[in-house]
Amino acid sequence: MLEEIKDRIKEEFGFETEPYDTNMLLVHATKERIRDLMKFLKSYGFKYPHTISVVDYTPKGEGFQINYIIENLVEKKFVIVRVNLPEDELRIPTVCDIFPPFQPHEREAWEMFGVEFVGNPRLEVMILPEWAKGLYPLRKSYDFKKHRKEVRKGKA
Amino acid sequence: MGNSVALTGYVFIVEEEKEVAGKDLGLLQEKILQLNWGVQHPASGPMRLKVWVDGDEVVKVDPDIGYVLRLLEKLVEYRTWLNAIVNVERACFIDNFGTMTGYSIAAEKIAGVEVPKKADYMRTILCEGGRIVSHLIGLGGFIGVLGVHTPSQWALIAREKFLDAFEVYSGQRIATASIVPGGVRYEPTSKFIEKMIEAVDYLEKEFIPRYGEVFIDNPTLKLRTRGVGVVSKEKAIELGLAGPALRASGVASDIRKDYPYAAYGELDFRVVTKEEGDAYARYLVLWEEIQESAKIIRQAIEGLPEGEYRVKFPVKVPPGEAYVNVEWARGCFGFHLVSEGGTGPYRLKMRGPSFANLWAMPEMMKGVKLADIPVIFASLYMCHGDIDR
Repeated sequence: MLEEIKDRIKEEFGFETEPYDTNMLLVHATKERIRDLMKFLKSYGFKYPHTISVVDYTPKGEGFQINYIIENLVEKKFVIVRVNLPEDELRIPTVCDIFPPFQPHEREAWEMFGVEFVGNPRLEVMILPEWAKGLYPLRKSYDFKKHRKEVRKGKA
Repeated sequence: MGNSVALTGYVFIVEEEKEVAGKDLGLLQEKILQLNWGVQHPASGPMRLKVWVDGDEVVKVDPDIGYVLRLLEKLVEYRTWLNAIVNVERACFIDNFGTMTGYSIAAEKIAGVEVPKKADYMRTILCEGGRIVSHLIGLGGFIGVLGVHTPSQWALIAREKFLDAFEVYSGQRIATASIVPGGVRYEPTSKFIEKMIEAVDYLEKEFIPRYGEVFIDNPTLKLRTRGVGVVSKEKAIELGLAGPALRASGVASDIRKDYPYAAYGELDFRVVTKEEGDAYARYLVLWEEIQESAKIIRQAIEGLPEGEYRVKFPVKVPPGEAYVNVEWARGCFGFHLVSEGGTGPYRLKMRGPSFANLWAMPEMMKGVKLADIPVIFASLYMCHGDIDR
């Protein structure tokens, strides 16, 4: 089944794919056509979204990598859609109207990494406190020491 | 007035129904009241539900989370491959074995390490023990929100027996840190096996008949939970429900069967599904899964092979990545682990099933009665540790 999908993606979108694991396929997509690809995969039975995993490769100079992980519950197969974003242009169209469960995942990726999902209706802080908005703690450049609260020494 | 009701002294006032527009609309909106449900939530950990109600009908629900954020995904990056289990197991302390197993399998996949068969069987025994422990709290908590606290005490007594077994095995009752990349940490002694069988015996012979007699086929419970929070099969997939909540809607999704890991491929068990998709069905899924888990533990103890229980795991792991799912007590837990050739993980993304269930909840609660909120909340079987991570 994954072989068939692989050929169709190559044919329709021209994206490169590679086997990831048994039962999993990795698709290298671009942000311009991510929405079309997601619609295509959904029509192919990949209806169950797992998560959006962002990996920060800025220390290597490769920007950010966004992985959309979706599963086909009938055929028991996974697809990982991967998009690379440069560090200075962290914007990607949202897919939360195609997969509604991705909405909070996009929100989390936004608050933890600063990736802007254009079109997501609710990019507000969710897990972090309000004062930590814009600190992006899961980025590699985040400095724990800088944001540590002062500890009072000696007698209070 | 010949009305007999009016004669008894009761007066009924029927409000006039009229169309509202313009500045009167503001007055109407004031009728919608916002309630705070939390922050110390009675059904599980700390969170707040903002509930907007019109009378006793729920208009909108918005969860406010983040009270148990520990940033585990970041802390893991500062650890070695083996030490990281301490952070991973704290995703939720109730079933800590499932998360450790998933992380260990992901690390082993990247490093190309094959674990001995004995470790696989031990992982299965511990994971199922963790599932039983977690489901017992889920069962007790579900009736707990309805105001009856006896069943949760009964469930905790049964849970204690399993915690005793974990203590004999690892020295700890809750955060055991006993599954590591490369196998399991300790040799399963005969004392541990004895304790585990004792716990399963108690569960099957004492707890299940007694609890089942009173709290499963219970007419009051059925009255309160049947037809509440109904989710159809298609809707469950669309909302992205996970674990027991997904299976209660008739979707037979179980990572243990679909993508077997540890020793599950060699054991005989059944995936519990229900067709109704309501709160009562979700409760029954937990109940039947406990019985399946007890069977799995017995099979795994019987088939426990001889040999090594742990192999050496390299200090430095070659660059690579893996996405591994395990069927945790509350649903499928995903680990996206990335290695850059260092002594510890470069990035770990944890996909928590409770996070998925939590954000499906507002859609399920639209238009229900206020009294059904705790029932739906508890039936989704969430843990705050893995919502916030």
